[in-house]
Amino acid sequence: MRKINIESTLYSQLIIDDENKLVIKFQPKTNVFLYCISEMRDKLRKWREENYRNSEQIVDVGEELINEHASKLGDDIWIIYEQVMIAALDCSRDDLAWSCLQELKRQFPDSHRVKRLAGMRLEALERYEDANKLYDSILQDDPTNTAARKRKISILRAQGKSSEAIRELNEYLEQFVGDQEAWHELSELYINEHDYAKAAFCLEELMMTNPHNHLYCEQYAEVKYTQGGLENLELARKYFAQALKLNNRNMRALFGLYMSASHIAASPKVSAKVKKDNVKYAAWATSQISRAYQLQHLPAGVMLTSLALSISSKTPYTTAASAGVAVVIEIHGRRQT
Amino acid sequence: MHEDDSGVTKKRTLQLPSMSVPLSSHEMGEVELSCLAYAKMYLHASQFPRCSVNGLLLSSSAAGGAVCITDCVPLLHTHLSLAPITQLALTQVDVWCSQTQQRIVGYYQANACASDSSPTPCALKIAEKIFEQCNNAVLLMIDGEKMFPGCRVPPIVMYERKDARWALKDKHTIMLRQWEETCSIVNQLFSSGDQALLVDFDSHLDDITKDWTNQKLNAKIMELVSPANGNV
Repeated sequence: MRKINIESTLYSQLIIDDENKLVIKFQPKTNVFLYCISEMRDKLRKWREENYRNSEQIVDVGEELINEHASKLGDDIWIIYEQVMIAALDCSRDDLAWSCLQELKRQFPDSHRVKRLAGMRLEALERYEDANKLYDSILQDDPTNTAARKRKISILRAQGKSSEAIRELNEYLEQFVGDQEAWHELSELYINEHDYAKAAFCLEELMMTNPHNHLYCEQYAEVKYTQGGLENLELARKYFAQALKLNNRNMRALFGLYMSASHIAASPKVSAKVKKDNVKYAAWATSQISRAYQLQHLPAGVMLTSLALSISSKTPYTTAASAGVAVVIEIHGRRQT
Repeated sequence: MHEDDSGVTKKRTLQLPSMSVPLSSHEMGEVELSCLAYAKMYLHASQFPRCSVNGLLLSSSAAGGAVCITDCVPLLHTHLSLAPITQLALTQVDVWCSQTQQRIVGYYQANACASDSSPTPCALKIAEKIFEQCNNAVLLMIDGEKMFPGCRVPPIVMYERKDARWALKDKHTIMLRQWEETCSIVNQLFSSGDQALLVDFDSHLDDITKDWTNQKLNAKIMELVSPANGNV
């Protein structure tokens, strides 16, 4: 490219290339540099604080920050090293993880926090025995170190040892009752093991401490729905409704409300009044769904047809599906009426 | 297991162009997996490497004879064993299939734990339900350990219903047309960034403007497929 500086602005140069075409080339100048760095730092901070797991993006942004602009980061650099290292492990970038770890080891030679990161790297390499030894040594020094304990539980999970992971996590929660992350992890483990009653218990703990979180309400409702039986379906409907009250754009809650109300209305065991009420709730849900799709100029066709069919139980999957609710309970070995 | 040498030989027999291996109706138990279905399944599993993912396998060909899996619908990447969204998704896909002359012929799942590709109870239950509607339904587990670039064996383990249980299918009855072209198409999707176009049912519920039937991605894949050979 022939570089003819026709105009040189702070951010760009206009250049005439070999084919005599005008091209804008981004030319970094000092203050543009700093503007970019602070933007990148802010992004990393946001992802860190909100616990995002967008590891590819973190590696992209973080690697550039570390390699090109380390001197301008001040003390932030250490927390960024930690964040980028974990993201690098997630993306199988052992080279990057190793270099971040070395920097951190150099700066904080006896730190338990850095030792835990070393353990995570061993986990990523599937050297679980070595990782466990490292975590055990941390716990010997400091038995209250929650991070090391939770990593040990994660190793059990990675190895597929769900029942042991569940047991350890329960023991952990007896000591550290307020650990939200742990309660949520436990609910996930129980859901995978089809132990819905215990999963519901964990979600109840979470709802108590986070009454405004619509996602916990909705998840609780889903678990109740899966457990099946009239009482659980009514609870499910109530919690789907609660989730909607907290966030009226939660589509899962809207569909869940529809499905639980329809199942209750279709049940032979309910009184005429309950049936009538639930048909009303289901109809309301359908109208809200239809509205949501129409607002986005989307064809609501498939969604509404299938919903209408499921009320009249005309598709094999709903008849099988309502049987499916019962089937799912059967895995668990208990029949609930 | 049975990879490398024996796998390579098997792959060579699978390379025969479709014309010279007519799928006649008495060749029961044969399953053919199209490039489109394979690509979308692979993309789905890659998009959520830390979660278990599942989806449905569809066929646009008539019932009877060999099963041709022509497309797939990625369903969930969270809480596969919770009922409401699974039921919703199954009904939706069923209705959409009847509107588009397709049938649900199978189910696929990729476990979060890459080293464990055995079907979970939830997978077996959903496959059962599909089998009730389609008597040569297949259950397909994606083998995470074989999903590295340059792997010469399809990362697939297929099960079929035999004697009231799900048994491993004979590898000889699984046909993957033009395996190498399929692999290269998947690689192209990754390098062009088009793999991010894939939408599963869960993502649709998070943002209803996203199309869980993946019309855009289907079109992109079919574009890549057609120049490679006249008919797929």
